Amino acid sequence: MFGNELFPGALFFCIGTYAFITSRYMVKAFMWLELIFNAVNVNFVASSNYLGIQQIKGEIFSVLVIAIVAAEAAIALAIVLAINRNRKSIRIDEFDLLKW
Amino acid sequence: ITNLLEPFYKAILVLLESCVILGGLVLVRISLSYLLLNADSAAVVQSLIYVGTINVVIVFAVMLINKLQSFRCSSTYSTIRDGIASAACTSLFHSLIVVILNTTWSEESLTNNIQRIGFHLLTDFSLPFELLSINLLVALVEAIAIAR
Repeated sequence: MFGNELFPGALFFCIGTYAFITSRYMVKAFMWLELIFNAVNVNFVASSNYLGIQQIKGEIFSVLVIAIVAAEAAIALAIVLAINRNRKSIRIDEFDLLKW
Repeated sequence: ITNLLEPFYKAILVLLESCVILGGLVLVRISLSYLLLNADSAAVVQSLIYVGTINVVIVFAVMLINKLQSFRCSSTYSTIRDGIASAACTSLFHSLIVVILNTTWSEESLTNNIQRIGFHLLTDFSLPFELLSINLLVALVEAIAIAR
């Protein structure tokens, strides 16, 4: 059955979203975000493998997603370092300057 | 006779005990599962880019940020927030499992190689490819500009 390869993707996605929502520090939240992206990639590659030799586009799109995630990693950690330099803390609940 | 490799062993043990290297091991495990799914190029790209660069960048960020001195005790709202988040995520997981199990899948599968990936990257996916390269360039310049 094809769903046997989709179960790890779904599990990683749900664990990643739960830990991403309930994490207190920015770097920890970013690491769980990487797990979410990996779950999406597993889903893409499993679907491209299931649809046969003609459909390789799932695997190509997963390579594009990895490249996007690399760019996002650089930007997100640069922002975290700038926040740490200015506010001296990386807790998410302490970064509330935009709250009313 | 002193063991000259002893600080080296201690460095490896410290690195293993910190939870950052576990993220790298998880990503290597996912890369091995790509090899099972006939996606050899995705496995190599995953190992090189995810583990090799993104994990190393995360290790850099963790080491550049000072150790947190104050650990305030969690308020009462945090347990309510954790409970609601866990309920939402387990319901999402349950709905995903139900959808996967209740759909009827047909049967066909074969193998692929890396030449077809290059061909598709330059013909079908040429526009995302070019936009992606520009995006990576802008992202790296921006990261250097912010963290300067």
